[in-house]
Amino acid sequence: MKRFVSMLWITTIPFFAMIALFLLVPLLSMIGGSFQAEGGGGFTISHYREIFSNPYYLQAFENSVLISFLSALIGIVVAVFAAYAITRFPQSLQQRVLVITNLTSNFAGIPLAFAFIVLLGNSGLFVLLAKQLGIDFGQSFTLYSWSGLTLVYIYFQLPLAVMLLYPLYNAIQKQWMEAAELLGASPWKFWLRIGFPVLLPGIVGTFSILFANAMGAYASAYALTGSNYNLVPIRIGALVSGDIFARPELGSALAVLLGLTLAGALLVNEWLTRKIRRDLS
Amino acid sequence: MSYVQIEHLSKTFHGQHVLQQLDLAIEKGELVTLLGPSGCGKSTLLRILSGLTAPDTGMIYIDGKDVTDVSPKNRQIGMVFQSYALFPNLTVSQNIAFGLEMNKISKTEIRLRVQEMIELVGLVGKEQAYPRELSGGQQQRVALARSLVTRPKVLLLDEPLSALDAQIRKNLQKQLRTIQRELNMTTVLVTHDQEEAMAVSDRIYIMNGGRIVQHGSPQEIYTQPRSEFVARFIGNYNVLTAEQLNRIAPNLSHPAVERFAIRPETFREQRLAGEDICLTGNIAQVTMLGNITRYELNMGDVPVLVDTLHLSLEQEEIGTTKTLYVSPKDVIPLYDTIA
Repeated sequence: MKRFVSMLWITTIPFFAMIALFLLVPLLSMIGGSFQAEGGGGFTISHYREIFSNPYYLQAFENSVLISFLSALIGIVVAVFAAYAITRFPQSLQQRVLVITNLTSNFAGIPLAFAFIVLLGNSGLFVLLAKQLGIDFGQSFTLYSWSGLTLVYIYFQLPLAVMLLYPLYNAIQKQWMEAAELLGASPWKFWLRIGFPVLLPGIVGTFSILFANAMGAYASAYALTGSNYNLVPIRIGALVSGDIFARPELGSALAVLLGLTLAGALLVNEWLTRKIRRDLS
Repeated sequence: MSYVQIEHLSKTFHGQHVLQQLDLAIEKGELVTLLGPSGCGKSTLLRILSGLTAPDTGMIYIDGKDVTDVSPKNRQIGMVFQSYALFPNLTVSQNIAFGLEMNKISKTEIRLRVQEMIELVGLVGKEQAYPRELSGGQQQRVALARSLVTRPKVLLLDEPLSALDAQIRKNLQKQLRTIQRELNMTTVLVTHDQEEAMAVSDRIYIMNGGRIVQHGSPQEIYTQPRSEFVARFIGNYNVLTAEQLNRIAPNLSHPAVERFAIRPETFREQRLAGEDICLTGNIAQVTMLGNITRYELNMGDVPVLVDTLHLSLEQEEIGTTKTLYVSPKDVIPLYDTIA
């Protein structure tokens, strides 16, 4: 038995090697680089000082947090209802809807941006169709604006949120609803007092994933707005690839702060969940 | 009219008859058990009584009122589910108070009634515990308190003890019966455990194939089964055909029915009365069941089970010939041929 367990441990070596090589090493290198002077110099905190004193980078954080929060919030609210609606479908239909949702949740990046340009861009199918019908989209909506970008973000957040929330509804036992009904609770009261609090940790966890997903989104935003829209991943991309000149150390500092923002959001979510669901403490 | 009256109730699921023209009557303060094998329709009957499932046909009356089309929350019915269905995010007190809050009872009264229930079910000190912090038996008692606190007209128990250990189950059976008597609560218990039904019920309804095949007090059901199904389900009855009975007891005069039942514990080693029937057979198998020793005797190619109290330390050996006596009164003719 001991020999078998030792053999099992040996099989995990490739896994830990991959984690070390492709997660830990880059992470440590990024943190190290963020404290390194440009051109491979000594220890410095000047990149952080520059980020906090430069309104341009602060605006990038503000924009990233805002679009991520907004798209995650809209995504989660819609997905809470959508995932529940799917659970009410017949079993065979549920499986089909989930396959489609899975496909759309993987439709992101440049192909997604292209699809939106084809449909809702300046000469997009729906824009031209609306013009034929006498409606000018351009008056109220442009794909290459803040609202257009938010729409694209919501689009790739929504299926992911549905995929993550759908299994959570299995945790709601039918007999809880029946017991609540026999005790005089309306469906609304049941969801308010029992259903939603039980789902809450999962909803909060999903929100955190959506928020992180949006914070790190690069390709869709870049393909849609180029570097016109000031977001942290686009700024990091520009500093690393060196559109003008490469500053990977400053890019690393931005990436470290991006990671800290995500960690902070996770901690706040965790704390809020435990405040509400005291039984989990 | 009885306190709970069910008339001509039928229910079909996917073309299969789950309940067929079923009639049932329960008096106020009675504990009635629906006993039957899995799939006999007892849980469906309970759900129809609660309003969680609608019948296809038939009427349900509670306290003289027709509640057939009344919603579950307006039926004034309490129910304890097999899984207890406690709300995991609420404490013991909050679980018990839930129904009172939904019925907009004042906070002072809620506090009083919750405390009263906690004392009744013996959970003092566990008020602030969450369900996952409780044992199965404690969870069951919370579920019972939650159903009783709203003072329902009828309490429904859907196999509430089936998930518990034998010892805890026996303790809770007693406790359940004591509380039910104390509150004079009209109660319907669903179970497939014959011993449990015998231990707690005022009356037992035995179900099979969506029908009630026999009902009566535990004593009546056990000693006077009317069909082979009841005889086999309720105990370890020996069910013999008329031909088999004639073979082992040729001198016994009996009514002209197809089958007869004899309880294994009615066989004795001594003749107590002149009319006792004498039977002889070879021991084919001996099983020690704690306080009882079960012999399987071969009486002229008819296998017969005999239970004797485990008084002697030495068991009789396989192959030994044994002579036993049984009273003609204990040879029960099974009049019902259906089910």
